[in-house]
Amino acid sequence: MREFSSTARAVAWRSLHITFTNPALLAPALIFPLMFYVAFAGGLSSVGDLPGFEYSAGYDTFQFGFVLLQASAFGGVFSGFGIAADFERGFARRYMLSAPRREAIIVGYLLGALGRAAITTSLLTVVALVTGMRPQSSAADVAGLVLLVALTCTAAMLFACGVAMRLKTVQAGPAMQMPVFLVLFLAPVFVPLDLVAGWVHGVATVNPVTALMTGGRDLLAGEAVSELLVFGTAIALAGGFAVWALRGLRSAERTGS
Amino acid sequence: MAPASGIEVENLQRTFKDLTAVDGISFAIEPGEIFGFLGPNGAGKSTTVLMLTTLLPPSGGRASVAGFDVATEGPDVRRHIGAALQEAALDPLLTGREHLRLQASLQGLAKQTRDARTVELLERVGLTDAADRRVGGYSGGMKRRLDLALALVHGPSILFLDEPTTGLDPQSRSDLWEEVSRLARDEGVTVFLTTQYLEEADQLADRIAIISRGSIVAEGTPDALKGEIGRPSLEVVPSDAADRERLAQVLSEFGPATAAPTGAAAVRLEAGADGLAQVVRRLDAEGIGLNTFDLHAPTLDDVFLAKTGERLADEAVA
Repeated sequence: MREFSSTARAVAWRSLHITFTNPALLAPALIFPLMFYVAFAGGLSSVGDLPGFEYSAGYDTFQFGFVLLQASAFGGVFSGFGIAADFERGFARRYMLSAPRREAIIVGYLLGALGRAAITTSLLTVVALVTGMRPQSSAADVAGLVLLVALTCTAAMLFACGVAMRLKTVQAGPAMQMPVFLVLFLAPVFVPLDLVAGWVHGVATVNPVTALMTGGRDLLAGEAVSELLVFGTAIALAGGFAVWALRGLRSAERTGS
Repeated sequence: MAPASGIEVENLQRTFKDLTAVDGISFAIEPGEIFGFLGPNGAGKSTTVLMLTTLLPPSGGRASVAGFDVATEGPDVRRHIGAALQEAALDPLLTGREHLRLQASLQGLAKQTRDARTVELLERVGLTDAADRRVGGYSGGMKRRLDLALALVHGPSILFLDEPTTGLDPQSRSDLWEEVSRLARDEGVTVFLTTQYLEEADQLADRIAIISRGSIVAEGTPDALKGEIGRPSLEVVPSDAADRERLAQVLSEFGPATAAPTGAAAVRLEAGADGLAQVVRRLDAEGIGLNTFDLHAPTLDDVFLAKTGERLADEAVA
């Protein structure tokens, strides 16, 4: 167990160290969520005045709920880019050769992704609060929101990790990013689900990300949350993609790293 | 079962779709031995290393490293081996010291021993002064030395070196040879060394296997392999350049001609060194004056030529 955790911590340390000592890698991770928040919450603020738009914490908070999950999901996806780059440049070989238990490599990358997501979402939260967002969450709601963000990042990272370990090239970037982008934007991004019309409503209704997004917004507004649906969905996604990532690792072992 | 820090390979195979990279090779390496795996590019050397280091599963056969099966006991194999592969897996954004600390953590070394081990290895490979510089600015030789240090972090009993001196300057090459010899001699580390440099195999290896097109074509100590070839070659430069053709004609009576520099003639002596006196008498009888008269013992390249019909030296230079 000590060996496993030592390996995982080493992989996580490198992921975080590389990110936080290189402005070129750090800046996009911090700036993009802020840009999304400013663009959506600021530029579309009048959407909150639409008839039938009912959200007690205001449009800023409503959009924050989306951008928060988006930032955590893309934080996970960007870790997949790092994994693919490690395979393409040969550094993954060092991990595969050195780690007695290779599952620890995935855990290490995941810890790195969660660390980055923690920084990004903290900065986003501070900026949102400073610029006028007024959530109505209790301490328990905040704890639930943190858990939801972590599970979202975990699910996205494990999905991207599975893709990266199968394809082992940074050219796999679109295959990691596009599905996450689609499921995020096929959820009720700009208005509540009830106001979404047409085929998008049908897709958003069955889209598991809708449950996460709605749950996050409910936690921000201090409203009742369907814990089983929200956290059950998040845990199921993380669990399913954990299997996907592990099978990706086995694929990388079979084909050589 | 292989000895505790040895390697045992039995009918090992690896195929990639239609290509057979390694075709049923077998050998055994004793603990503390330096084993040279010699062959040209594409012969199957690196594929063999990848299988023995658990980076690639075999398609057939079996191999045990440090007593553990590479296919079913990968974690145990990895705990006992260190490897510096052909392309050093280094991160240009990390410093040398950070690499060593990272490697120590990856291998699960206790925190208390990591720093001391890092300092010791940096010193040993001569990178103390460059320890806090990013690896992106290291020369090829420095990267190789760091890669070797990384392979030694956890004190492995078996070390895999895949063409470790390719691209190194003579001094770096000599330093690395010295360190590899010391590891085997003083620390009892078993070394599996792949190379396409004959001199390297000759100087370092206790035993050599020659691999060609995925199969082992010869195996033994360098001396035994050269002894199998037996016949030395004789290279002679006449004191009068005009005698060169006549000299070559006389020498051809003692064996087939071999490549020789301009102005010289060379022959593979069919009768071995015992025929030298007769050659001298014959040249004297012909009145051919001599400038130089050199007897060359067989080289590993001669062995390679005899076993595969190709010259390895040409490929290595190319």
